Amino acid sequence: MIEQDPALRNRCAIAGAGNSRLGQVPGSSSLDLLAEAISNALDDAGLELADVDGLITRGPDDAYCHHQQIGERLGLNARFSTSLDNGGASQILAVALAVMAINAGLASVVVCGYGRNAWSRTHVSDAARVKNQTRPDDQHNQEFGPEYGYFGAVAAHAFGAQRHMHEFGTTREDFAAIALAFRDHATRNPAAQIRKPLSREDYFNAREIVSPFGLFDCSLRSDGAGAVIVTSAERARDLKSRPVLIRGFGSHNNLTGWFSGDNMIRTAAIQSGDAAYRMAGIAPAEVDTVQLYDCFTYMVLVQLEDYGFCRKGEGGAFVRSGALRLGGRLPANTSGGQLSEAHVEGMLQIVEGVRQLRGEYPEERQVEDAEIALISGHGGNQVCHSTLILQRA
Amino acid sequence: MTDPLAEKPLPRASAESLAYWEGAKQHKMLMLHCSACGQFWFPPSARCHHCLSTDFAWDEVTGEGRIYSFVVYHRLYHPGFERDLPYVVAIVELREGPRLLTNIVGARWQDVRCDVPVRVVFDDDPRGVTIPKFAIADQPGSQA
Repeated sequence: MIEQDPALRNRCAIAGAGNSRLGQVPGSSSLDLLAEAISNALDDAGLELADVDGLITRGPDDAYCHHQQIGERLGLNARFSTSLDNGGASQILAVALAVMAINAGLASVVVCGYGRNAWSRTHVSDAARVKNQTRPDDQHNQEFGPEYGYFGAVAAHAFGAQRHMHEFGTTREDFAAIALAFRDHATRNPAAQIRKPLSREDYFNAREIVSPFGLFDCSLRSDGAGAVIVTSAERARDLKSRPVLIRGFGSHNNLTGWFSGDNMIRTAAIQSGDAAYRMAGIAPAEVDTVQLYDCFTYMVLVQLEDYGFCRKGEGGAFVRSGALRLGGRLPANTSGGQLSEAHVEGMLQIVEGVRQLRGEYPEERQVEDAEIALISGHGGNQVCHSTLILQRA
Repeated sequence: MTDPLAEKPLPRASAESLAYWEGAKQHKMLMLHCSACGQFWFPPSARCHHCLSTDFAWDEVTGEGRIYSFVVYHRLYHPGFERDLPYVVAIVELREGPRLLTNIVGARWQDVRCDVPVRVVFDDDPRGVTIPKFAIADQPGSQA
């Protein structure tokens, strides 16, 4: 087996990070939001569009040749550009691909970005709101699903949560600990979509959606975009903001399916994490903060196990210990995550990782002495995974 | 708001799944069975899901299995299911190996558990399609 190449460790850096307005941005288009985030990321890096020669993006599921659409809007020709198709795992994959393109000499400054208008597009009519679909009808299963009333990503992840509860004794108290910790972080984030404090009573009194998930186990429907600028570590040193080094990355895709084997309780984060740890040359204990793909509370719990922060089956005890809170052992999703800040398919997890490692936050939001951040992406039909390990420069 | 007359969506069979739905109409659960490696697979596709062989046949399976996992819909996603709420959607693993998505019927949703044995029941929809669903099987020693 060819090992992940440590030669690329710390060869590239994130030189700038930005986001658009987040949450409910009525009438927004995903492309306009992404352009806003890219503009902010370029400003952050002290770069101009003319410096960019690479573009790797993703947008709503029905966007055809997304990188062309955003490139046209920005007025940008690129030496290297493409759109990715791994769902919520795409955004980290974009950063990994940028590193590869830069080291292959195909580009020197790569913009990686994702934008969506999931709130606006599902709030155009009551029917659209009830349907809650961000994917066009013709891309949904025509059999072995709809006739049973099986719709949406909530149920797919709830299957995993239910099986995990059955095998390991995980409870909704454990999921509540995650929802409450991330909401507490969001109360400190002025840009977060939901900043109202969440109590344990609120969590358990909320309406059930698809059990074992209630309302607060589910991420938000958001408008929003994020972008980062990837370039060589050498070049990044001379730019406006303090760079953050790309120490490692990994990817794994359980293409056999979420329903296959134990994929829903032992996820692709296991192999993706191993690859990233090997490239980075670190162990889980060296990670100071994680920004995990939190489409649902359960996904945080299972990833903590799969990334080796605790043993399989012990995720419940780990999250109940308070580890994920700012000031805890492993502060997680310190912006509020997709459960409370905004759901931008993992892109804001990267942005938040960068900001934490720069140490630019006020004390109440800052992970103390954060040197290494692990960031995850998960998506597609629940089986694509990617991992990014960033390091303070 | 929601349409009280809305009907549930019917499965739209593909060329590959047609025999499955035809079998269901006769209250038989048919699955593709590989002659090369001996395994069953689902959903149907033009090559064995395990060994890529094209040497296979439709064979009847027992219709017995266990619940691998399940969820309970409390929120309405489609108006056709309004009267069913809350309803159980499960992943059932058949004795022959394949897993399939289905409904658990004839049980209170509060009583459904992972790993309990289930057996197929055929739901004849008046629109001319039969939809295989599952019921919790009688436990050994329980009254028949």
